[in-house]
Amino acid sequence: MADVRIPEGLWDADITPEGVVANWLYRDGSEVDAGETVAEIMVEKATMEITAPAAGRLAITVAKDGVVRPGTVIGRIDEQ
Amino acid sequence: MEPSKDQLLWMYAAMAKARHYEDTMARAYMEGKTPKFDIGAGLVPGEMHLAAGQEPCAAGVCVHLRAGDTVTATHRPHHVAIAKGVDLNRMTAEIYGRRDGLAGGRGGHMHLFDPAVNFACSGIIGESAGPATGAALAARLQGSDAVAVAYLGDGAANQGAFHEALNLASLWRLPVVFVIEDNAWGISVPKSRSTAVPDNSVRARGYDMPGVHVADNDTLAVFDAAGEAVARARRGEGPTLIEVQTYRYYGHFQGDPEVYRPKDEVARLKARDPIDRLRGHMLDNAGVTEAEADEALTRVRAEVDAAFEFARQSGEPAPEDALEHVFA
Amino acid sequence: MSRNRVLTGSRAMVEAIAQEMRVDPTVFVMGEDVGPYGGIFSSTTGLLDEFGEERVRDTPISETAFIGAGVGAAMAGMRPIVELMFVDFFGVCMDAIYNLAAKNTYFSGGNSKVPMVLMTATGGGYSDAGQHSQTLHATFAHLPGMKVVAPSNAYDAKGLMTSAIRDDAPVLYMFHKGLQGLAWMAAPEGASTEVPEDPYAIPFGEARVVREGGDVTIVAISMTVHHALAAAEALAKDGVDAEVIDLRSLVPLDREAVLASVRKTGRLVVADEDYRSFGLTAEIIASVAETDPGLLKSAPRRVACPDIPIPYSRPMERFALPDAEKIRAAVQQTLNRAVA
Repeated sequence: MADVRIPEGLWDADITPEGVVANWLYRDGSEVDAGETVAEIMVEKATMEITAPAAGRLAITVAKDGVVRPGTVIGRIDEQ
Repeated sequence: MEPSKDQLLWMYAAMAKARHYEDTMARAYMEGKTPKFDIGAGLVPGEMHLAAGQEPCAAGVCVHLRAGDTVTATHRPHHVAIAKGVDLNRMTAEIYGRRDGLAGGRGGHMHLFDPAVNFACSGIIGESAGPATGAALAARLQGSDAVAVAYLGDGAANQGAFHEALNLASLWRLPVVFVIEDNAWGISVPKSRSTAVPDNSVRARGYDMPGVHVADNDTLAVFDAAGEAVARARRGEGPTLIEVQTYRYYGHFQGDPEVYRPKDEVARLKARDPIDRLRGHMLDNAGVTEAEADEALTRVRAEVDAAFEFARQSGEPAPEDALEHVFA
Repeated sequence: MSRNRVLTGSRAMVEAIAQEMRVDPTVFVMGEDVGPYGGIFSSTTGLLDEFGEERVRDTPISETAFIGAGVGAAMAGMRPIVELMFVDFFGVCMDAIYNLAAKNTYFSGGNSKVPMVLMTATGGGYSDAGQHSQTLHATFAHLPGMKVVAPSNAYDAKGLMTSAIRDDAPVLYMFHKGLQGLAWMAAPEGASTEVPEDPYAIPFGEARVVREGGDVTIVAISMTVHHALAAAEALAKDGVDAEVIDLRSLVPLDREAVLASVRKTGRLVVADEDYRSFGLTAEIIASVAETDPGLLKSAPRRVACPDIPIPYSRPMERFALPDAEKIRAAVQQTLNRAVA
């Protein structure tokens, strides 16, 4: 099981504490490949991509429009 | 041409007012847009193009104008509207989309019209040039010595409308001044990658009119160039093209991620802030006291704050008001 | 185990463009801010990195020049994809579009072709006022010589773009900003869809029945498809079974799909975000009336922007633009029912 985590330091949380999940690019339960872009995060005005840490089945834990911070786990990859 | 002490204080006040306006608008615009930035949400929806940094172009030109002179501005119009004397309360209410706005909320930030001071603007690039030329033609036909000023961004100097208007204005020797605000960027595209000449003022030669380049966002140099251009227009000697190298502190629009812009550019530009430089000049060389400058600052900030309060207190238009004013 | 990849409208457009560029060296992209910025509405994100500056070209703000250049390049053997940032900006460059791109094939007796895609952003709903919010479907569909498409979702966005690039005619590809899945602009739930990774083409002129029903036909396109579907859900609770048709293209227009549905339902509502008069809504109703006015059991209704410039202020803009509630009310009128 690998966490889909927003990397620490992806943005400066001292300036902008929170962002949101702008889009999921796979459905909950979909197969994904390692390194694929699975989600878009929006922080203030900027859009950033989140990639899958491993191949496997994606379980979404923070839905679209959910509020996130650096370090937040937004999903899991079940590597089977 | 040297500005008088009164003219210096007028320009300083107009620039400080415009700056405080844009900074206040930037905050108001973000109300209701965090943590999720949705361009259509919040207190002030829609696109928002702010002009902080570009104040010399507004104040250094409009200080030479009268209420009867015409100004046509761009999609980034607030600083010019302020310098031309547009009703600040009603302008702010318009940008808030409220009932008491200049157009009752129909036009918004890119479509500000105040016929009391002959001000108009448009969200279409280059479309300030034709109408200013026409206002100048009207002045001629009406036997008035009024002049017209068209504001354009540097990107607009690559539009057909700009070139056609320059030719027409020169051909008919119309009393119009074309002011290009060169903020170095057409949204994300740098001028060096969009424009075949580094300095648009050379394009005046192709239309047989004077072309003046003002470097480094220098308010006094804008004052000098515009003073001569406006006087020349009033004398019936025809149009002038002025390009002002200016700065844009904010993004193209609020919400612009500015991925294209060097990270340190704005800090570098702010170190040469034109309002600070003008204040330094007034105090050092023109006999303006700290107290006089501060009094101007306090006064214009209070006017801006009052305008935003006016807008906040103004009611929403009725939905069916949308059907009114399609025709005169 | 399946891969259920979901793309936004903009990512679907980009994927179609990239896949065609990989196999066809004559395809290139130009427009304002299509390079490092990736398109103001993300229609070209990442293309510069993959294909370089020769094939992904930022232009000056000179639409007459670069759309005219698109026409010339297309006639000289290229397949340009040219972006007009907002459809509202057609005012500065219409000549290159309707007098050149749209007419050169005909005036050459078919000896020249203009395989250009002009992609452009449409639509309002976010208080940008009437110089940046128009839809203008009919303005272009009215003029012969151009194909005109307007996808409502990511699956169609990819398939219609692929077809547009491969078509030998000029194609106006009108994408609604509010369907792009932009992080900074709200989009309806159904705009992002599952999209196959392999290239595929959706033929022009084939409408899609997006919801089957027997009581009334709602014909929609682009954003109004989503309003129509929401209206249909609400109507179902009132016991009304609405059929929703997504036209997907205006030129060619799938009149037969509309007629087939109206033959079944006998009632018709047409929804378009464009202006009401002289537009798509009238064209659809006229198509039915010309064929057989007896098909309709009640007067047809249209839901469109009233004939006013699109206002800035939120309450007035909401008044002007179509939405689910207005479509629902129109359907109730065709059923001769008072609106609850």
